[in-house]
Amino acid sequence: MRQYRWDDEFVLFNDLSGDTHLLGVQAMHLLQALAAGARSDAELGAALTESLPGDTTLAALLADLERLMLVERRPC
Amino acid sequence: MLTVAALNPRALRRRLSGPGLDIRTGPFVVRLHTRIAAVIDNLALLYPDYPLDDSGFADFHVSVARARGLRRWIRPQVEFLVDGESMFSPLPLAQAFPIFEWGLNWCVSSRAHDHLVLHAAVVERGGMAAILPAPPGSGKSTLCAALVNNGWRLLSDELALVRLSDGMLVPVPRPVSLKNASIGIVRTYIPGAVLSQPVHATSKGSVAHLRAPPGSVARAAELARPAWVIFPKFEAGADVALDAVYGADTFMRLAENAFNYPVLGAAGFDALAGLVNGCAAYSFRYSRLDDALATFDSLAAGAR
Repeated sequence: MRQYRWDDEFVLFNDLSGDTHLLGVQAMHLLQALAAGARSDAELGAALTESLPGDTTLAALLADLERLMLVERRPC
Repeated sequence: MLTVAALNPRALRRRLSGPGLDIRTGPFVVRLHTRIAAVIDNLALLYPDYPLDDSGFADFHVSVARARGLRRWIRPQVEFLVDGESMFSPLPLAQAFPIFEWGLNWCVSSRAHDHLVLHAAVVERGGMAAILPAPPGSGKSTLCAALVNNGWRLLSDELALVRLSDGMLVPVPRPVSLKNASIGIVRTYIPGAVLSQPVHATSKGSVAHLRAPPGSVARAAELARPAWVIFPKFEAGADVALDAVYGADTFMRLAENAFNYPVLGAAGFDALAGLVNGCAAYSFRYSRLDDALATFDSLAAGAR
């Protein structure tokens, strides 16, 4: 996935879908952690440099990324 | 090199109704066939400075012709054909010249995929170009008309062509399309402006075209480096305001104005990012053209 960063925002090009996404720093760090092989909640949580804002949860963020077809949930 | 002006009216009609007329508009050669008087007359009025191409090759083979069947005679309509195929719904015959201009825009925006094509005006001064992306009704073309008649070179009033290989802007200077109130504004603001007769009741309202400055047409082979991205918005009575736009916001607003971004994939993505990284970006609100020109003059002066 190609990406450019300006301050705390990223634009991301998904080579598979051809879609372009505007992402915040948390979502981008999560994607980068997944790409590096992180899988457990603990590993993914560690990838987030700051606590998630408001009542955002790791699960909700992953669900957003799944909805954007940037990640795919698979059974273990 | 011969230009359209070199052909007298009879010769122009003969070429257009016969073998076709090959006109160079920036990097493209258009071979046009037509027998419709309004198209021929406006070609003579608005395209006298454009070179005739004698290479035998044309990028676009287009015709503007009366619709076939009953519509040839009853409430006559006109069609725009590309390679012999009608690409749009027919329009009333009175809209023959606008359909030529709109059709040509479509040809470029749907086929020039070695460029990122933005819905934007582009003007240049001192070797540095301003891209003005904007949806219809923003005042982009009125502003463009004023700028190019006050020291700025016209690259295009409608299509910003960003060359994928190096990010340079490729000129496609053609007549500036004006709508509704902007027609009268430009007539008043630019003494001596050469305008086609307005065509009324189009899908965009009343439409007229302003002849491109001959100097801009003569420099159509001269590329320009993008220096500014300026999102214009006319607001009646508003004070002029130039507000910085940054990073991802600039990127997404440019992408919204890109005709062929979905086609280009990663190359388009990189081209857009190149513009964001290489240009200063602003939202620009204006109501008086004098204020707008002064703002652009300041930008150009600050860049020297």
